[in-house]
Amino acid sequence: MNMATTNLPAAPPARSRNLLVSVGFGIAAVLMYFGGLFGVYLRERSQVRSVGGSWIPDKAHIELTPPGMIIWTLLISVAVMQWAVYSIKRDDRQHALLAVGTTLAMGAMVLVQHGWQLSQMNLVADEGPTTAATLIYTIVGSYMVAFIIGMIFVALMGFRALAGQYSSRQTDGIVAASLYWYSLVFIYFIIWIAVFIAK
Amino acid sequence: MTENQTETGSNAAESASGSLDIGGLAGVFGTSDHKNIGRLYIFFGLSGGLLALILNILVRFERINIGSVGVLDFGSSNQFFQTWSLSRTTLLFFCVLPLLIGLASYIVPLQVGAPSLSFPRAAALAFWAWAIGIMIHVVTVFADGGLGEPDPMSQFAQGMDPEATELSMLSIAMVVFALLLGTVCVLATIISQRPQGMTLFELPLFSWSMLIAGGIWVLALPVWLSNLAVSWVDFQGADALRYGAVENIWEQLSWLWSQPMIFAFAIPVLGIAGDVLPVSLGVPQRKYRVQQIAIGAMGALSFGAFAQPFFNPDVANQAVFVVMGILIVLPILVFLGGLVDTSLRGNLSISAHLILSVVGVLALLVAAVASAFHVSGPAVGGIQEINDSWLDGLVSWLRDVQGTVLATAVMEHVLIASVIGIIAGLYYWSPKIFGYQLNRNVGILSALTLLGGLALSGGSNIINGILDEGDEVYHPSAYEGVWDTNAVEFFNTVGAIGSLLLLAGIGVVILDLTISVILRKGNDENAKDPWGGHTLEWATDSPPPTGNFTDAPVVDNERPLLFPAATGGDEQ
Repeated sequence: MNMATTNLPAAPPARSRNLLVSVGFGIAAVLMYFGGLFGVYLRERSQVRSVGGSWIPDKAHIELTPPGMIIWTLLISVAVMQWAVYSIKRDDRQHALLAVGTTLAMGAMVLVQHGWQLSQMNLVADEGPTTAATLIYTIVGSYMVAFIIGMIFVALMGFRALAGQYSSRQTDGIVAASLYWYSLVFIYFIIWIAVFIAK
Repeated sequence: MTENQTETGSNAAESASGSLDIGGLAGVFGTSDHKNIGRLYIFFGLSGGLLALILNILVRFERINIGSVGVLDFGSSNQFFQTWSLSRTTLLFFCVLPLLIGLASYIVPLQVGAPSLSFPRAAALAFWAWAIGIMIHVVTVFADGGLGEPDPMSQFAQGMDPEATELSMLSIAMVVFALLLGTVCVLATIISQRPQGMTLFELPLFSWSMLIAGGIWVLALPVWLSNLAVSWVDFQGADALRYGAVENIWEQLSWLWSQPMIFAFAIPVLGIAGDVLPVSLGVPQRKYRVQQIAIGAMGALSFGAFAQPFFNPDVANQAVFVVMGILIVLPILVFLGGLVDTSLRGNLSISAHLILSVVGVLALLVAAVASAFHVSGPAVGGIQEINDSWLDGLVSWLRDVQGTVLATAVMEHVLIASVIGIIAGLYYWSPKIFGYQLNRNVGILSALTLLGGLALSGGSNIINGILDEGDEVYHPSAYEGVWDTNAVEFFNTVGAIGSLLLLAGIGVVILDLTISVILRKGNDENAKDPWGGHTLEWATDSPPPTGNFTDAPVVDNERPLLFPAATGGDEQ
């Protein structure tokens, strides 16, 4: 046997994927949470419509422009977030941070658009509360909470990258944040279709 | 500090091997050590069990005189409903789930050879959030809050405090969120901290069962939270429309305590029995993969987030629901068969944990059989007259049995089976957790008391289900179709005595823990491995030192202490 071979140090133990695994479970939980809300929403809407009722109150203003803007903003943010992953895998920390910052800026735009839409919808004021209003506010409100958590997560991972914790050898934080972000975009896509387009 | 680092300064107190010094108050309140967190969960969870059973006894006493205000005279329907619903929420969220997560937080890292739980500070946060949340919830329910009331227009209704009700909803959401966080920490440990050579199929059965159960909880509990969120948002409005109306809140949340979902909270009972029994017999578990598949199948058959009668009133007649309710018997039977097959090849050594674990699995089997009867009405719905009075009577009964207290009997059997399984785990792992063995005879006494209590309490509900006592709470319709009112009242009295026995069974365990561990009267000789364990947790000191293992373990089979690495496991 070759001595050089026998004297080689043992291979380092496989890197723990704690963060990725946990975020995977977290994403599953968030998807199931919204899955539960969508199930209730679609069921209740079909019940009302099956007896000829009107689901959205007549005086409500659910315009498609804000959700359309939100979905396009989010779709672009997917590419930007992937840019952060691409950059950190190549030790390009400068562009990774630029991408994380841009993603957060887009996230802020999404929150502003959400806020504006909620203030315009007029779901409750004129005709009193409705089950549709309850469910739409629950879904959109829950989404905004999940979205703010996502922004904090991305920002935190960005700060960690800034501190040098992530590089081509350890990308888990940025990858985990990007996966959570993509799941948020996926959830909004369902909201866009099920709540706003097919209202 | 990365997420894998294990100890904070306050945890250094346990660095000495075999010491139970948890580091005083700083070790309790500032700990992120999985061992201290596990012990805290166990302490609080057992206390929660006492509270849940006391509430259950009050409910059973009220039912002794059915159809009217009972002997305890709750005074108002909402006070009775608060007690009834709190007995369920505390049994699940204050006892079973925290005990399982606590036991897993302590044992799983040791079984998978990890130096700590993944995200130890998140696990500590989860514990304290859970503890604070459940205390707020209990206080708000006693302050006229709670999760709704059965009939606000009833002459017995007294009205609820809306602010307390709102806080009840928020606090229970906090509790479930915390339990989910604790579960994710356990799951991440199982998946990402296994040692070299340990695949998922070489996990010890308790860790495997926690992986399956935790996965189901992570998928199902968020759906329950979404129901709660809808109720809460509607409750905020000046006039709740539907979801937040007090008579509807519990209806939306009750599926968690019903079949098939309730079985997800007893999956680890199989894992505990699967770890305990082969060690007690001194032989390896036979058909290990089959046992793992049985546990996995039980997980798949217990996912019940779809079975929400409030939104889908016809769900009990749908094929998926019926088939799942009937098939749930199979994995438990297969698992039990595997245990019997193993026991035929070993030398039985009677111990408290052996008896408790067998009682736990048998209680689960009874629950599954009761579940099969409870859901099978639609399956026999098409059967015409058989011209046999007994069979015709059975078919007729199966058609009518849904909505009776048989559902309560299933829930009670499952959750008490879980408690018994957890106590089996406590007796088995007590040297590892506390450094002292619990008293064998007291454990056997506890097993017999719990078995007797469950037979009387759960058994009386089964019989009252047969007698058509309805499962509606504090509503005259619950008693409209009862065959024999006197018999139902008699068996509710028997059930109340059974609940007292259950309380005594848990009380005995707490007493044993106090005497054996806190007063240090238990046997601490051979505490490192008194049973000749097969899995990694027995390879280190009891209680384990900081970091758990001196060297990272290397394994290549599911019984590393029985078959050290490179010698291979037995033939399957």
